[in-house]
Amino acid sequence: MIGSVLRIWPIATNTLREAIRNKLLYALLFFGVLVIGASVLIASLSYVEGERIIQDIGLAAMQLFSVGIAIFVGIGLIHGEVERRTVYTILSKSITRSEFLLGKYLGLLLTVWLQLVLMAVAFAGVSAAAGASLSVTHVVAVLGIAMELAVVVAVATLFSTFTTPMLAAFFALGVYCIGHLTRDLNALGGQADDPVVRGLAQGIYRVLPDLDSFNFSLYAVHGWALAPNDVLWPMLYAVGYVLALLFMATYIFRVRDLK
Amino acid sequence: MKRGGQEGAMRELANERIKVEGLVKDFRPGLGLRSRRVLNEVSFSVREGEIYGFVGPNGAGKTTTLKILMGLIRPTAGQATILGHPVSESRFRQEVGFLPENPYFYSFLTAREILDFYARLSGISAADRKPKIAALLRDVGLEHAADARLKTFSKGMLQRVGIAQALIHDPSVVFLDEPMSGLDPIGRKEIRDIILKLRADGRTVFMNTHILTDVEMICDRVAIIVKGHIRYEGPIADLLRGDDMDSDVVLTRLPSDLGIRLQERYGSRVKGMGERIEVRVPDKDVNSLLTASLGAGAEVVSVTRNRHSLEHAFLSAVREGTASYPNEQKEMEKNP
Repeated sequence: MIGSVLRIWPIATNTLREAIRNKLLYALLFFGVLVIGASVLIASLSYVEGERIIQDIGLAAMQLFSVGIAIFVGIGLIHGEVERRTVYTILSKSITRSEFLLGKYLGLLLTVWLQLVLMAVAFAGVSAAAGASLSVTHVVAVLGIAMELAVVVAVATLFSTFTTPMLAAFFALGVYCIGHLTRDLNALGGQADDPVVRGLAQGIYRVLPDLDSFNFSLYAVHGWALAPNDVLWPMLYAVGYVLALLFMATYIFRVRDLK
Repeated sequence: MKRGGQEGAMRELANERIKVEGLVKDFRPGLGLRSRRVLNEVSFSVREGEIYGFVGPNGAGKTTTLKILMGLIRPTAGQATILGHPVSESRFRQEVGFLPENPYFYSFLTAREILDFYARLSGISAADRKPKIAALLRDVGLEHAADARLKTFSKGMLQRVGIAQALIHDPSVVFLDEPMSGLDPIGRKEIRDIILKLRADGRTVFMNTHILTDVEMICDRVAIIVKGHIRYEGPIADLLRGDDMDSDVVLTRLPSDLGIRLQERYGSRVKGMGERIEVRVPDKDVNSLLTASLGAGAEVVSVTRNRHSLEHAFLSAVREGTASYPNEQKEMEKNP
């Protein structure tokens, strides 16, 4: 176990070092912070609830740009290593493919969490400057985005083990979009008369990630109260879903030929 | 005698560091397409402390074999073991070093940082890493560039980094894929010296290469692979010693009648006339020629045994291989 951690950690830190050299990351981070800052201008156009508009836009920008970074930096995660053949020398050491993949996942997750922290600092600064209140619920909302990112990075990792970056980006974006609609699909399907449609909607809801379960933005913006279980269950769901995705990814990566 | 022979065979078996038996690999180019056989019943073994050359033309299956040995791809059939462990395992790789062809490393790291990365992957403690890396950088001649980013390195320098990372964990078996490719003569000589040092240190070296002169110079045994079939496997000396070998005999103070007789018998194989001649004769004729010449009062200046060049042996194996399996791919596609 300790041996595994000692092998996974260099891969993770190296992935982080590599990712923070990616210009795309800085471009997305820049625009994320820009939108958070611009929320003040947009809010100034409204006569009412300016603070809420600032925080709504700020949290949405953090979520969207973080997901963008997770997908567009994550899609080449494994594919790039195989294409550039850096993986050959790494796997010739006594590291398993599963450990390598977990290291890559962890490295990318650290990268997106790091930029999330930077955007959260910008968000807090803009909110404070605009006189909008900040509470623990805002921290929970950022934690929710962090959980969603853990799932999205795992999705990107899974697709990057067996397909090209372009297809992986397409699939991961698809999963992200559907992941925000699964609740609505399930609710709509539940009202259908046809049992096949009902079963299908429920099947999609069960298999695809329910990304809306990590969205605490409304609680933060409107100051609604959150019970511990409201956070705990989504957190457990995220951990379970990530483990399932990484299990599939390691299986695919273990059995594939690295040509 | 029989017991001695058995003991010898047992000893040889115990000394085997790499063993490949009946390796087969089929590749399917794409979904719905028929598979193509790139390795066909490949078998060979590599003994402790030897430099083993794996030689073949482009597309013969050399890199595929090496990738199977490194666990990067799986064989369709057959077995391969390193130090007695199936190649699908990963833990024994602590004993194995690997230099891929045209190695690529994280270009944003320096030579010292990339070696530190591989040392950490190999489980080398923090205290041991620093002196180990410094010693390796010195051994491969990169001391001066230790803190330069790899993106500024030439191909030869990257090759040295590749060799250093392959040796960072002190492996007993080292695999090198085209270690001399793209290097200038000085670079080739330096890499050759490093490989010879590995053998002197008691390590086993398996080397894929196109450069036959290097194989001839440093390898103990060799396998020639053509179209996925092993055409020859064994000591390089046996390969170069064919049945139809010749020797060059230089004679002086030769009586004229003997010179004429030799001219009649060997024709254009006789060079020079008069007192001193050189004649190329089949090995089986050397003794009788020497006896006749000495008996006739001639003096023997030299007898030089001609060796086949590896290039000659290699080209013969490729020609025979190409003739033996001309339609293999077509047959494979008909009967996937």
